[in-house]
Amino acid sequence: MEPVLLALIAVIPISIGAAVAALSMRWISTAAIEGMTRQPDIASQLFTAMLIGMALIEALCIYCLVVALMLAGNVSL
Amino acid sequence: MEGEALQEGLPYVVVINLTLASLLLIALGAWLARDVLTTGVPGKRQNFAEWVMDFFVGKARGMGGRRVVAAVAPFLATCFLLIIVANSIAMLPIPILNYPPTAFFGVTLGLALCAVLGTLVLSGVFNGIARTLKHLVWPNPLQIISEITDVLSLSLRLFGNIAGEYLTLVLVTSIIAIGIPLILHMLGLIPTFVQAFVFTLLTASYLAAAIHRQEEREKDLEEETPGAAGAESS
Repeated sequence: MEPVLLALIAVIPISIGAAVAALSMRWISTAAIEGMTRQPDIASQLFTAMLIGMALIEALCIYCLVVALMLAGNVSL
Repeated sequence: MEGEALQEGLPYVVVINLTLASLLLIALGAWLARDVLTTGVPGKRQNFAEWVMDFFVGKARGMGGRRVVAAVAPFLATCFLLIIVANSIAMLPIPILNYPPTAFFGVTLGLALCAVLGTLVLSGVFNGIARTLKHLVWPNPLQIISEITDVLSLSLRLFGNIAGEYLTLVLVTSIIAIGIPLILHMLGLIPTFVQAFVFTLLTASYLAAAIHRQEEREKDLEEETPGAAGAESS
């Protein structure tokens, strides 16, 4: 396949993955900050849970990044 | 660039940086333990070391009694400290060694394999080998696949974050070499800490799920001798 076409295709997974992951992370951080402001006593527990949830979502985005890197690795610039 | 580095085998920079990170950690531990350790009023260094270890001990105390804490807390602390030093070692101003070893997939795969195999081994120690092996295939045989995907997700998450940050840094530096990379380095401190933290937390949650059945029995023992290890951290 054409290298330029492959480079353009490699953009697709990471862009979609990053956009959806950003939207999901917005939900998590909004909910966590609301909970922290309402109950500052358990802020540290909420922060830990927020980090774990974000990491699980971020993993999906990272899979997209890996696929994009694998596609872009075939492109000779 | 990235693809070639992956195909050529282990680059020497990775080996040197990983060794350097381990040496730094050993030196830090030796420096912290230079004073005579005391059970009375601790000195500055002992205070700092206890502050670091207290988080992991608190995590491990949620899983079981004193035997579990003695085995799990050093395991988690090793994960966290090695990963955070390896992530941030590229920020040392050494000319050639500016490549974080965790931005190489083999290293993170090894770390994740150690974490998951360590989970299985600790589960075998505390629950018995037969129960651990039974837990792998019962009630659902697909739980073996779950272990494999644990390895994959742990390693790919760490690798993707650090390598992505490093690639961004390299690409931006090739365009603007002054000023902007400093800001990127400052921003890079956040995933450096968060990824080490997340790796440790996920390992801790796998461990907690694996050792969970031990909890009730050990809790009874713990309530007989309360307050020996300090206040309960919540």
